[in-house]
Amino acid sequence: MEKVEKKLREEAKKLLAEKKVDVIVGYEAGTLPLTATPVFITTPEEADKLVWNSFCQHNLAKYVHDLISAHKDSQKRLKPEDRKRKVVGVVTKGCTSRSLVIHLQERQYERMDTAILGVPCTGYVDRKKLAAKLGGEEILEGSLDGANLKIKTASGEKTIALKEVLADNCLTCRINNPVISDSMMGEPAPPMDFASEYAGVDEFEKLSPEERWAYFEKEMAKCIRCAACRQACPSCYCRTCFAEQSMPQWVGISEDPSDTQAFQFMRMYHMVGRCVDCGSCVSVCPMGVDLRKFLKKLDKDCFVLFSQRAGEKIDFPAPLQDQRMDDKEEFIYSPGGGH
Amino acid sequence: MEKKLLKKDKLSGIVKKLAAEKTVYAPVKDEDNVLFKILEPGMEPLTSFANTKNAPKKVFFPHSELLMKYTRSPKGMVFAAMPADAEEFVLFGARPCDARSVALLDMLFDQEKWKDPYYIEKRKKGTVISLACVHPPYSTCFCTSVDGSPTSTQGADLMLTDLGENYLVEFLTPKGEALAPWFGEATAADAAAEAKKQAIAEQSAAEIKKKIPGRAIKPILDVSFEHPFWDTIAGKCLACGTCTYVCPTCHCFDISDEIKGDDGARIRNWDSCMFPLFTKETSGHNPRTSQKQRWRQRLMHKFKYYVDNFDAIACVGCGRCVMSCPVNIDIRKIVEDISKL
Repeated sequence: MEKVEKKLREEAKKLLAEKKVDVIVGYEAGTLPLTATPVFITTPEEADKLVWNSFCQHNLAKYVHDLISAHKDSQKRLKPEDRKRKVVGVVTKGCTSRSLVIHLQERQYERMDTAILGVPCTGYVDRKKLAAKLGGEEILEGSLDGANLKIKTASGEKTIALKEVLADNCLTCRINNPVISDSMMGEPAPPMDFASEYAGVDEFEKLSPEERWAYFEKEMAKCIRCAACRQACPSCYCRTCFAEQSMPQWVGISEDPSDTQAFQFMRMYHMVGRCVDCGSCVSVCPMGVDLRKFLKKLDKDCFVLFSQRAGEKIDFPAPLQDQRMDDKEEFIYSPGGGH
Repeated sequence: MEKKLLKKDKLSGIVKKLAAEKTVYAPVKDEDNVLFKILEPGMEPLTSFANTKNAPKKVFFPHSELLMKYTRSPKGMVFAAMPADAEEFVLFGARPCDARSVALLDMLFDQEKWKDPYYIEKRKKGTVISLACVHPPYSTCFCTSVDGSPTSTQGADLMLTDLGENYLVEFLTPKGEALAPWFGEATAADAAAEAKKQAIAEQSAAEIKKKIPGRAIKPILDVSFEHPFWDTIAGKCLACGTCTYVCPTCHCFDISDEIKGDDGARIRNWDSCMFPLFTKETSGHNPRTSQKQRWRQRLMHKFKYYVDNFDAIACVGCGRCVMSCPVNIDIRKIVEDISKL
């Protein structure tokens, strides 16, 4: 990982020095132990802040979209010949690259607006899993030591195997290396256990509709409507979210359970063929709502019905952009028994 | 002010007995979180925990609160203001920082000129039992930098301090004293207990290593509204409401009407200065169009405007926002950075 980090810094310095990019979105060390946080690098000197490790959780494609859209807005009033392109460099793992592909498929910006610094990914630490492992004890100090985390808490030093606290989406990640990149930092990472990708969904499908609904209600009851899930999601880039429209008001802003359920329901249905299972919505959730169970089900359905995985192939239209004569449609409710 | 000693193993029973008679909000384990919830039969109130994920402000200032109902009738609109009436309740297990937050909210919702009947009614009916921090629960705690302390009694009606085998029970206000019958098993506290508590208070405050210049940045903020510094903090902010929703002192609200057919309800909901809709006017104009402006508002509100208005910092140093921010925007660092401007 140190090698990747070294190469990443060199590449970032080069791109900035040669003015090939205006900004690089990456990760720097956070202010809390065992964390990384998004950072925007604009000069070669700052590039040494960049880190690449098992705490780089965020899907940075979100910021690529934000930065390019804001820049385009700022150029709107200029004559076309005076407009300048802003190139955003981005540290890109597998899931981030799939989100970039979705943006490109959805014509949000052009490929040449980005410089993709690909990094091999072996998964990030799920902070909630880690906290549970420590029985809620605060991490006072911590470091990564090969395949283990060395952690100091009030009750002493602890060693925890990294693989025990990796996020669920990382453990069964199918695409942990970038699907597109301009430069690759080091060798591709070995595959994760993708054979069991849908094991959780398969189990969930076996439950009765009542049990599944009970689980949905239980999870949604934890939600405090802070919208961190939506804000962190690279696929949630609507200028005005339906949840914030007032004429008509699609969902209320109160704590009413049906409003919370409707918000989450509608957001999730916008994710068909657009969720790359980066786990951002889950990792940012302050209350630990299990959104992944439902999103993964949509992902599975999309694959089973349309043989598509979100953002997997750049030269292939996304499932919601494409219609084929042999598309399956048995799931469509038709009281008359079909067409 | 009366002080008593209570055997530690008696406390949980007292809280449960209280819960049988009136609503008691207490810290309980909820899957991986510790949350303030209404204590139902069979639930165990926690007496030994770090701090809750959610702040207790919601018991006085609910996330959503019905203010008024109305109906369209052939004769015109019929309005019905919702009474503020609240039933007696107890908030058990607030940490001193969270208890202080209630005192800070009082400054706003219960002013001489402006009074919020919904809030005030709940304050009248609610009794706050705080649990002193014998050790600061997190390394992110910084109450001592914002006029608080791990054993502050501000905002509490009754405070419990863990002395080892006993709790020192301090009845601080008439509302607190009204709970004395529940603490019938407690015995009079002696001078030794008082001395022990004093020692714990000093020790615990000394254990808070993190210091930020909470008061010192006020004169800097007074002249820094246009400072380029504000461009540097909001870049990675997701514009979610986590920091403000877990914050014990954030109190901005939005009022929305929910209409179904001829019936309408006016509901007050928590708002967040982090949301793009914050302060957006009916005309469509928003005086704060960028996250930079909204972040400046958050900082200024806590460390300047509240100080201007009430001579108090609207932050109690609980560290919840530091721990919960999904992108690690650390208010402690921002305050330190401002002090160097």
